[in-house]
Amino acid sequence: MDEVTRRQVSDAQLASVLHNLDPDRDRPADVIVAEHLSVGFAGQSVLRDVSVALPRGTVTAIIGPTGSGKSTFLRTLNRMNDRVRGFERQGDVHLDGESIWSPGQDLLAVRRRVGMLFQRPNPFPMSIRDNVVAGVRAHGIARGKQLDVVAEMRLREVGLWDAVKDRLHGSPYRLSGGQQQLLCLARALAVGPEVLLLDEPTSALDPLSTEAVESLFRTLTPALTLLVVTHNLGQARRLSDATMLFYDGQLAEHGSTAQVFEQPRDARTARYVQGLVG
Amino acid sequence: MAQVLPTGLPSTRGRRARAVAFRVLMLGALAFVVGPALWLVVGVVGRALPGWRWNVLTTLSQGTSGGLANAVVGTLVLMAGVLILAGTTGVLTGIYLSEFAQGGRGVTVVRVAIDVLAGFPSIVLGYVGYVALCVGLGWGFSLLPALMILSFMVVPYIAKATEAALHQVPTSYREGAEALGMPGGHALRRVVVRTALPGIVTGLLIALSIAGGETAPLLYTAGVTNNLPTWSLLHHPIAYLTYYVWTDWNQPTAAAHVVSYDASLILVVMVLAMLVVARLIVSRTQRHAESAT
Repeated sequence: MDEVTRRQVSDAQLASVLHNLDPDRDRPADVIVAEHLSVGFAGQSVLRDVSVALPRGTVTAIIGPTGSGKSTFLRTLNRMNDRVRGFERQGDVHLDGESIWSPGQDLLAVRRRVGMLFQRPNPFPMSIRDNVVAGVRAHGIARGKQLDVVAEMRLREVGLWDAVKDRLHGSPYRLSGGQQQLLCLARALAVGPEVLLLDEPTSALDPLSTEAVESLFRTLTPALTLLVVTHNLGQARRLSDATMLFYDGQLAEHGSTAQVFEQPRDARTARYVQGLVG
Repeated sequence: MAQVLPTGLPSTRGRRARAVAFRVLMLGALAFVVGPALWLVVGVVGRALPGWRWNVLTTLSQGTSGGLANAVVGTLVLMAGVLILAGTTGVLTGIYLSEFAQGGRGVTVVRVAIDVLAGFPSIVLGYVGYVALCVGLGWGFSLLPALMILSFMVVPYIAKATEAALHQVPTSYREGAEALGMPGGHALRRVVVRTALPGIVTGLLIALSIAGGETAPLLYTAGVTNNLPTWSLLHHPIAYLTYYVWTDWNQPTAAAHVVSYDASLILVVMVLAMLVVARLIVSRTQRHAESAT
């Protein structure tokens, strides 16, 4: 009887069950879509006509020389540039199909959904536990005793729990640089983002810490979509599914990481990934 | 080939001499600050202690004799009032200037006003208070005009200290808060102001010390009385310690001089106690600060 029942579940039914279990069902396949995005500051153009779609649950590396607009692109995606003096933009960025600048869009909600990790670890001057739950508190996601649960869960998630469980109320600045960056990651993860923007997240870390942070990034997909700005070409190759190369404010190349590194279409890309220009 | 080093580099001896000269200068500056402070404390304590009676704290003044209870309570009331009135105004002004002001004419007016206020002689402010508030509005010698004039005096210190402290808060804290989607007010309270607290507290301390140590503007606005302060803000004069320091010193009797010394000692102790309390508050709130490690 059992076997009969089991056989009666058709592929179509199975697909529909799986579909219903998928937390991202009915959402666009591309979590972030930039359309002809141009950004400038006080008349100085920094990004020109960038169009790109980032599939949900993937890791995209952003490479390119200093001043090519990588960080500006990244910081535009969670509207960190909005308040910079002289910020001007054309084109649009869609998050789950809705413009991040649409009037109905709540800026704070956009930033909660699109988290960010910075080049230098920047824990707040409060206890380790308070750091993890800082965003959770601000958004009123949890409170009281729940905060302790959130803190433990996120610290476990980034593999920091055992190192800090006895000094949750201690200062975050006594942690090593790598641990501080993991703490910042836990803080960013705690508010439940869909996209994580990483601005050279390991450039201030030693190789071992870098490895720890990188291997953690890989566990975050497909639940999250990651964008990593990096100057480390090895890191881009190790980590990413797709790679974008910025050159002089333009998106020179975008494709799968294997293609960009092995069969670059653009001559500038070829020179850059071969280490001929830096 | 033999001459690898370029000529004309400063010699080691010259550098050493300059290092020594600099060190001497710094030690001199240190002595210039520490010397008078020690001298003051030792001088005041040394003169007040021999004639010290604890009951000056509990008995009321009787003109040039008696105790100082009325003045001690009066000074404490004045300081508390200044903390509330000037503290809130000054800190909020500093926060506005640092965090919200976008430039423009309004901000320039505020800044100029602060500078003018800071540069005003206290006795002139006191006289203005006397003419405008005590006489003009008919408030008489009383707590409110005294508080207002003291607050006008110290608001610039608090506002400037607050603004400077907020400017020192690392951009990375603000960006981190922004990137988490923290509401502005929340980030300001939880991250920015908390980080700037030592600087803000320093500004408040200076303000309170001035409030406790001023005489001239109070002569014009507070009046003096042998009684304890009442709960009324108007029409009731209020006593303060600096009045007795000055007045009793100018009396011919040794008993009056003792009261003068006592008042000085109490003031010095109050200021020192304030310093200790402030340090405790700062170290309590800054135990997770980057600089604390």
